[in-house]
Amino acid sequence: MADKVGAVMVVGGGIAGIQASLDLAESGYYVYLVEASPAIGGVMAQLDKTFPTNDCSMCILSPKLVEAGRHLNIQTLTYSEVMKVEGQPGDFEITVRKKPRYIDPLKCTGCGECPQACPVPIKNLFDEGLVDRKAIYRPYAQAFPNIFTIEKGERAPCGLTCPAGINIQGYVALTGVGKYKEALSLIWEDLPLPGVLGRICPHPCEKECNRKELDEPIAICELKRFVADQIKTELPIQKEEAKEEKVAIVGSGPAGLTAGAYLATKGYPVTIFEALPVMGGMLYTGIPSYRLPRDLLAEEIKTIQSLGVEIKTNFPIGPHLTLDDLFRQGYRAVFLGVGAHQDQKLNIPGEENPNVIPGVVFLRKANLGEKVEVGRRVAVIGGGNVAMDAARTSLRMGAQEVSILYRRSLSEMPANEEEIKEAEEEGIQFQFLTAPTEIMIKDGKVTSLRCLRMELGEPDASGRRRPVPIQGSDFFVETETIIPAIGQTPDLSFLQGMMIETTPQGTINVDPTTLQTSREGVFAGGDAVSGPWIAIEAVAAGKEAALSIDRYLRGKDLYEGREKPNIQKARFEEIYADQPKSPRERMEMIPAEERRKNFSEVKKGFSEEQAKKEAQRCLNCGLCSECLQCVALCKAGAVNHQMKEEMIKFKVGSVILSPGFDEYDPGRLIPYGYGRFPNVISSIQFERILSASGPFQGNLLRPSDRKAPKKVAWIQCAGSRDMTGNDGNEYCSSVCCMYAIKEAVIAKEHHHEVEPTIFYMDIRAHGKDFDAYYERAKQEYGVRFIRSMVSRVAERPKTKNLMIAYVDSEGKVKEEEFELVVLSVGLTPSKGAKELAQKLGLELNTYGFCKTEEFSPLQTSQPGIYVCGAFQGPKDIPETVAQASAAVAGASSLLADVRGTLTKKKDYPAEIDVKGQEPRIGVFVCHCGINIGGVVNVQEVKDYAKTLEGVAFVEENLYTCSQDTQEKIKKAVQENQLNRVVVASCSPRTHEPMFQETIREMGLNKYLFEMTNIRDQCSWVHMHQPKEATEKAKELLRMAVAKSKLLQPLKEPLVEVIKKGLIIGGGLAGMRAALELARQGLDCALVEKEAELGGNLRHIYHTIEGNDSQALLQKTISEVLENPRIQVFTKAELKNLGGYVGNFKSIISTNGSDKEFEHGVVIVAVGAKESTPTEYLYGQDGRVITQKELEEKIALRGEEINRCRHIVMIQCVGSRTPERPNCSRICCSVAVKNGLKIKEKNPDTKITILYRDIRTYGLMERYYTQARNKGIEFIQYELDAKPDLNLKEGGLQLKVKDKILGEEIILQPDLVVLASAIVPYENEALAKMLKVPLTADGFFLEAHMKLRPVDFATDGIFLAGMAHFPKSITESISQADAAVARATASIAKGYVSVLATISEVDQTRCVGCGLCELLCPFSAIRVVETEKGSKAETIAASCKGCGVCSASCPQKAVTVHHFSDEQLTAQIEALLPVEGKKAA
Amino acid sequence: MKEISYYPGCSLHGTAGEYDDSIRDVSNLLDIQLHELEDWTCCGASSAHCTDEELAIDLAARNLAIAEKSDRELLVPCVACYSRFKCAEKESKEHPEKIHFSYRGNVPIRYALDFFCEGPVLEEIKKKIRKPLSGLKVVCYYGCLTVRPPKVTGIKEYENPQHMDHLMELLGAEPIPWSYKADCCGASLVMTRTDIVRRLSGKLLSMAKEAEADCLVTGCPMCHANLDTRQEELGKEVGENFNLPVLYFTELIGLALGHKDAKKWLGHHITDPIKMLNSKGLM
Repeated sequence: MADKVGAVMVVGGGIAGIQASLDLAESGYYVYLVEASPAIGGVMAQLDKTFPTNDCSMCILSPKLVEAGRHLNIQTLTYSEVMKVEGQPGDFEITVRKKPRYIDPLKCTGCGECPQACPVPIKNLFDEGLVDRKAIYRPYAQAFPNIFTIEKGERAPCGLTCPAGINIQGYVALTGVGKYKEALSLIWEDLPLPGVLGRICPHPCEKECNRKELDEPIAICELKRFVADQIKTELPIQKEEAKEEKVAIVGSGPAGLTAGAYLATKGYPVTIFEALPVMGGMLYTGIPSYRLPRDLLAEEIKTIQSLGVEIKTNFPIGPHLTLDDLFRQGYRAVFLGVGAHQDQKLNIPGEENPNVIPGVVFLRKANLGEKVEVGRRVAVIGGGNVAMDAARTSLRMGAQEVSILYRRSLSEMPANEEEIKEAEEEGIQFQFLTAPTEIMIKDGKVTSLRCLRMELGEPDASGRRRPVPIQGSDFFVETETIIPAIGQTPDLSFLQGMMIETTPQGTINVDPTTLQTSREGVFAGGDAVSGPWIAIEAVAAGKEAALSIDRYLRGKDLYEGREKPNIQKARFEEIYADQPKSPRERMEMIPAEERRKNFSEVKKGFSEEQAKKEAQRCLNCGLCSECLQCVALCKAGAVNHQMKEEMIKFKVGSVILSPGFDEYDPGRLIPYGYGRFPNVISSIQFERILSASGPFQGNLLRPSDRKAPKKVAWIQCAGSRDMTGNDGNEYCSSVCCMYAIKEAVIAKEHHHEVEPTIFYMDIRAHGKDFDAYYERAKQEYGVRFIRSMVSRVAERPKTKNLMIAYVDSEGKVKEEEFELVVLSVGLTPSKGAKELAQKLGLELNTYGFCKTEEFSPLQTSQPGIYVCGAFQGPKDIPETVAQASAAVAGASSLLADVRGTLTKKKDYPAEIDVKGQEPRIGVFVCHCGINIGGVVNVQEVKDYAKTLEGVAFVEENLYTCSQDTQEKIKKAVQENQLNRVVVASCSPRTHEPMFQETIREMGLNKYLFEMTNIRDQCSWVHMHQPKEATEKAKELLRMAVAKSKLLQPLKEPLVEVIKKGLIIGGGLAGMRAALELARQGLDCALVEKEAELGGNLRHIYHTIEGNDSQALLQKTISEVLENPRIQVFTKAELKNLGGYVGNFKSIISTNGSDKEFEHGVVIVAVGAKESTPTEYLYGQDGRVITQKELEEKIALRGEEINRCRHIVMIQCVGSRTPERPNCSRICCSVAVKNGLKIKEKNPDTKITILYRDIRTYGLMERYYTQARNKGIEFIQYELDAKPDLNLKEGGLQLKVKDKILGEEIILQPDLVVLASAIVPYENEALAKMLKVPLTADGFFLEAHMKLRPVDFATDGIFLAGMAHFPKSITESISQADAAVARATASIAKGYVSVLATISEVDQTRCVGCGLCELLCPFSAIRVVETEKGSKAETIAASCKGCGVCSASCPQKAVTVHHFSDEQLTAQIEALLPVEGKKAA
Repeated sequence: MKEISYYPGCSLHGTAGEYDDSIRDVSNLLDIQLHELEDWTCCGASSAHCTDEELAIDLAARNLAIAEKSDRELLVPCVACYSRFKCAEKESKEHPEKIHFSYRGNVPIRYALDFFCEGPVLEEIKKKIRKPLSGLKVVCYYGCLTVRPPKVTGIKEYENPQHMDHLMELLGAEPIPWSYKADCCGASLVMTRTDIVRRLSGKLLSMAKEAEADCLVTGCPMCHANLDTRQEELGKEVGENFNLPVLYFTELIGLALGHKDAKKWLGHHITDPIKMLNSKGLM
């Protein structure tokens, strides 16, 4: 095998991944923690409280986040996904794709300002879609890494459709938030005529708008007009430095003006030559002023002129001033934007008559104010916009009857729909399928027009159906004036002899990318190139030409980077369908009767309210709009929209997968109305609602009306235990009962008026102390539990309350109204995890969870790859955490021989001795962008700091935590010989270690640092009182400086450890722990009180999954006995234990002989036992036995079972009673297991199981189903109506009330099997010796029920197996492995480091009263006998510095370093007013 | 022009005449030619299906055999008939031996609501709308058999069907989201357990009123009869004046398409819709 690699990759940064990473890193492996989302934390970060201790989830998680995030040997790769895993166990090569965040992680300080600049709202998935967040975001405030991410998707189709590529989504979003100036600036980047195009653009973008799938597209064009009309002030347009090369532009239409504008911004002197007396080209002469007011056009041209564009009107290029002349005059490049002003002929007789005025000519004259005679009747020929404009203009010029004749039908008409509609309103007549054939003239005047009727034939090249004349359908249209408007061509006569190629269509021939003509230095665009087309195309051409000309003049490649990228258009997605419909805003218009009389602008524009409303209709389908507001705002310069994805490769020896789960999508349960009824929410949404950092700031409100609900219902098993297999999962999700109960309890705590009701099938409170919690919920909190599966939820139309129909305990159908319904959604394997499994070639089980074996629960189907957490099967947090550590044991034993080879260690310079030096304090005051600086007057605080005694240096920083500021701090320390550093900024919890690191790198002891939080405590809580906030900041700073003067350097000594373990208990957990410890390379002693190893496993003959547990037993025992690292003591007990982590000394007693054993860690695995029942005739009648006895009978005396006709099992014998309130966890599955085993051999044996709740949690649910399918009967009973077992005529008679029948039934079994409670041994003496606590039930109590499931509060002592709580073989194996991983991690380095901030006893003062020893929660202080009598002493390696001893010592003999009385007093005194202090 | 076979069923020749008229007239407007099955007989819905299994299938199969003579689709406006036909169709595939007529299961059976809510017909309706039903708030009531049992109807959205809502939206009306759209009105118990019918129908009317609907729209002649005719007795029971017009969806299509006879059909209802429609400016 190749060399192994001492690194491990952990995939998935939830609590499992974090725990695994920490254990690995502490055990001597370098860790790559890969997380798909932008931050680690997983689902636990979303939860409000955790059961059964009601701890705040975030409060217990966030220290872990910080610890993992800062760990020198954990590299977190967030926003990343694993692409490939190659190689073999011990030596894998990993490829990871790092998605672009568009934020530089080194520069982002997480100040949190940028979302305020972002105009794009996106559903906040962290808050489960209850509210929106911005496209630039951090999943949650405590996220690690504390940096932002910009979410980009495929681009919005509007912008991609726009010929000029205007960032439409961007300006619409900015309009929606009232940032009109910013919106206009954004438009201006691609369009220098926003008000003009905002009026006349036919907006192809709107046809592509995704909103049209929902109702109507966004009024993009009209919003552009709105912002242009809003901003009357000058826009700040960036101009590059002035250049010398002159550029000439021919034509001042949209193409010419655009080219001019952008060339001018690049610094070129530009002259536009315009043949007409007016500026604007077709914009002036072609478009009537009722559509485009002249002053508006002039205004926008003026803006372009102000950039330095000179426009010469009445200046045609032609014989008098040729193209050659321009070059001769020193122009270095020319752009031709001459448009298409020449009309196309009808080619019918009579066309030359003066009463026949071509459309463009007519419009030009009318728009230039020249006199044009129109008759009473006007016939316009054509179907385009020119025809519409001509018709409507002639109406305004006095014509009485205006008709438009068009040879096809309405649907083929090329004019804008709105134009047609407005023309119709104004009274214009339309004659379709009409083609003119001859103009009839009498006395030199037009009298009528001969026409032919047409019909539509086959589609032509344009895709429109070709008009075909109907022979003999001639008719006449009487008219005095005829305006043909059937098309235009460019007039290119001026180019003759100028070496400019033209096309057969009469347009200029250009390179389609660069717009360069056949002559060097001459470019062309707009209608002169494309033929008559829309203005925005001309704008686009002008912009492209400007780019080409700039490159041409600078001698650069004209083509580079201009190929059209293939960008996908964002499509309409299902999620948008939930959006409420909202019709498009309509502009007010002048009434038709009025407007036909004059040239006033027809459309009045949006009101501000309308514009905002319209803009907010945008779906933001492109996610980030690239409006670049964040770039402008970020003072740290961290935003980089050009960022690209990266592929990273690295090597690891093993992989641990912890990708977690997805919540079951409750939208699939149609009858419950999730997604349709706003007040039906998922349980995870409810968690967010309860959370103080959630969408409603921790107020329990319902979504529809944000009012506090009183009646709240939970529906359990939403998507779980669903036997239809259609909509839900067959398995039990294991955690929902408990989280629902917890949510009900917490809801009640939020609002006492809440009346929680939980609808359930079985309450599965099978964990440690869970049942006690369940009982408390019922009795103390009044949570109502109804055992009934709800079939549907209906919504009351008006109140949005919800109706639930259910069957009550009497079997009656009832209907009840609730204000809020919570669906307790189950867990499903995550989509990402399944993809990952596929990439890694892992086998999945039938439900899609990672496939593992019963006796090796963490090993995937691929060697070297381990799994933990919910991807292995649904489970709660403690089991997840235990599995994470257990997976580490697997990876770690594989790589034990390369432990420590890749871990990093930091080298620091020698420490400067500051002893005896006067304090020289450096103070750094932080602005935190505007986070602090926006409220607190930082300058004033800084000036104040200078006046404080001992302060030698003061500086203010924009971001004190940024990388460059660290360098500044280091420099300041060096240059000013600072020996104390104080930072006034944010929270020490998150930032203190970093600053300590900075000063340590300069040789200062890290305890010479002090920090004060002027963000949370000043600028945040007093944001509306800047003056007071500033004063408070000064006071806090004064206190910090006062303390810092007294700071002393502290040492963090290391204590050597003995790398050996002691394991108490030789059952499965103990043996497994011994073997694993040995694999880690540690010697151990295994102490078993019985003569034989094996514990309870000796009495288990088969497992629920059908595996051979006796084979497991034999194999494990022989491995233990053969392992040279394991010293086995049977018939032995632990007599004494002394010492502390790393240095324990035990006395093991075997057959009266004592043996001393020195070791570094202890694992407690003493197990538990089946209790002896005291009821149901047990011990009085041989036909009443326990499950353990039954199992033995099945295995060894099968014939006795074969003789039974009817076996009844009674569950919860001795469990879940007032005396023993908890569940024994395993009895339900044992009953099902034994029942199935009997049925397997004797299908005819009748089996009845009397139960209270069937608790076949997780994937074991399938065996419960199997049991029912095999005909095993299940009868439910209540605690207050226990089954009654009697002897009648020598037979067993059992009475039980069947709740479904509502009657008592009598059974006559020939065997009764009791599921008697699992109880702990007498653990008190051992607990006392180990100085660890027990639960009220007598099981060992771990350090923390959620996050430290196998640790004790006392360092170096760990817990596994049933000594903790009843559990299955699989769970015991996991826990044993976990305990080993934790134990190994605690001593793997070979030393334990001792905290510096611990207590120290001044023994000259101590009187040895022992109060401190009594109170210390960590057994870290003890009274010892010294020469001078009893004195207390701190056990440094165990002390956590909590200060209980110091606070309680009546002699003031105990000091906690860094928090000494002297230091704290100085701080408090500094707070007192200076005068007061003097007086004192 | 689209051609389709048409099986009106007994209801449409009896109590639901306005449904029949409106279907025929609306089809005309939409260029759909209906061919009423020759010699059609009862489908067996009201009693055969719960008295004689063989008869229940055969009555439907007889009619389907007639329809199978042409290769046209079969338009069925009554939900009860539709349900029987679909059951017979299923039977013909699973147990062809039980069918005593020359029916092979090859007739595309189209329930009228599905037919008018489907692509090309819907497009045609869209094109021909003359008087959008602006301001008309409706609750769409599909009833139980329109969509159920899903194994027979093949409809996926049987808990929350949407197609009638979409049709109403297209016609310009405002469909109000409603939880009760696929609940049972009790029609099949109308002779035997009127107490249940009253409870079920009363609930529907109350909830429609609470939703502030102007009318309830249906495509089932049984539901229609139940909900239209019982309003007075149910109202008295709960002390409420329901006065909630119950309309066929085809009547509303006709109204939006500006059919001249709309007033005639609408005049047949017990709970008079004319006044309400007038007040909305829709008539």
